Amino acid sequence: MTATDADAPLIERIKRGDVKAFEMLVVKYQRRIERLIGRMVRDTDLVQDIAQETFIRAYRAIPQFRGDSAFYTWLYRIAVNTAKKALVEMKRDPLVTESARALRDDDDETSRIENELSDGETPEALLASKEIAATVNASIDALSEDLRQAITLREIEGLSYEEIAEVMNCPIGTVRSRIFRAREAIAQRLRPLLDTREGDRW
Amino acid sequence: MSQSSESSASMENLSALVDGELESEAGARACGQWRDDAQARATWHAYALIGDVLRSGDLASTAERDCSFLLRLREQLAQEPVVLAPAELAAPLLAPLPAVAAAGGSRRAWRTPVAVAAGFMVVAGALVVTSVPGSLPFGSTPTVAQAGPAPVVAAAPGLQAVSTTQAETAPVRLNGQLIRDARLDEYLSVHKKFGGSSAPGVPSGFLRNAAAEAPAR
Repeated sequence: MTATDADAPLIERIKRGDVKAFEMLVVKYQRRIERLIGRMVRDTDLVQDIAQETFIRAYRAIPQFRGDSAFYTWLYRIAVNTAKKALVEMKRDPLVTESARALRDDDDETSRIENELSDGETPEALLASKEIAATVNASIDALSEDLRQAITLREIEGLSYEEIAEVMNCPIGTVRSRIFRAREAIAQRLRPLLDTREGDRW
Repeated sequence: MSQSSESSASMENLSALVDGELESEAGARACGQWRDDAQARATWHAYALIGDVLRSGDLASTAERDCSFLLRLREQLAQEPVVLAPAELAAPLLAPLPAVAAAGGSRRAWRTPVAVAAGFMVVAGALVVTSVPGSLPFGSTPTVAQAGPAPVVAAAPGLQAVSTTQAETAPVRLNGQLIRDARLDEYLSVHKKFGGSSAPGVPSGFLRNAAAEAPAR
């Protein structure tokens, strides 16, 4: 199994009428989609609107998704098209900056170019996000070598469990358990920062 | 103790599902957790966020922000018809229907029902009378309104579903004009019992054009 079909089980469920499985994919990809759109459109509210529309369009079109490409690649294209359409509709209002235009052409999912702060982002939200990033990085550093290697191979290198098992010379079950323990160790440190104000909102 | 190890096992399943490494039965349970358990939802979010931040620090986002995004989307999703796409099931079920085979086979003209021939003759008669230039030879038209790739119906009639036909149903074009679309295909496939005369009420000018450039199968 490769990273390409990591979403296949959820997509199968969506195609059988499980809307909740689609929500899981939304939570998985909303940040990447918003960042992508944020590079094309400056207005924060508009970024949100376009991201919302992207997911709605994806949901409507999912019966046509054949798995020829990764789900995220497919979603990425929908996001770009939705953003372009929104920009055309608001041609009179030049919301795209020159720098965003320049980024758009050579942008890709793994690009690490720092995204500029969108106009509507509050300083508090920015601070909270930075704290989250710092906590994740500190937690990774605190992991044992085995756990760190397992989660790095998965999340950054995109290897499948089978491939990681080969690299780390251990059974797949061990890979699965190491990745889970790594995530849990990071999540534990992160949880105080992730508590939503109204508690059970998810 | 056993409760916490159970909870730990189910969180481990969520972790495996994030990576697409969970067999379908356990996957179904994990999806059920997402539906029923707020803690599982928060955990799923945390795991996804961790992956994002590991790949790129600028993807860090607060739970509150991500959560409101989902809540807003959820409201919109509630307005959408539920997606159902049993295409893999529907295709083999529908394929053997005799009407679908009409577009292929060298002797297809002789196999079409008499009703087709009768309907065709009416059209042909209209052609002769009006003698429109550019009309097609008679031999090429018996598959009026049946030509084109065998339509795959998205769902059985009665189910509220989103069609799966659009991507794979090649439109038929004549003189640059699109005269078929996925919805029409679906309509025709559902109304196969009408055989070749499955376009009642359509003007003869339309019928005259219908079979012109059906893609070869």
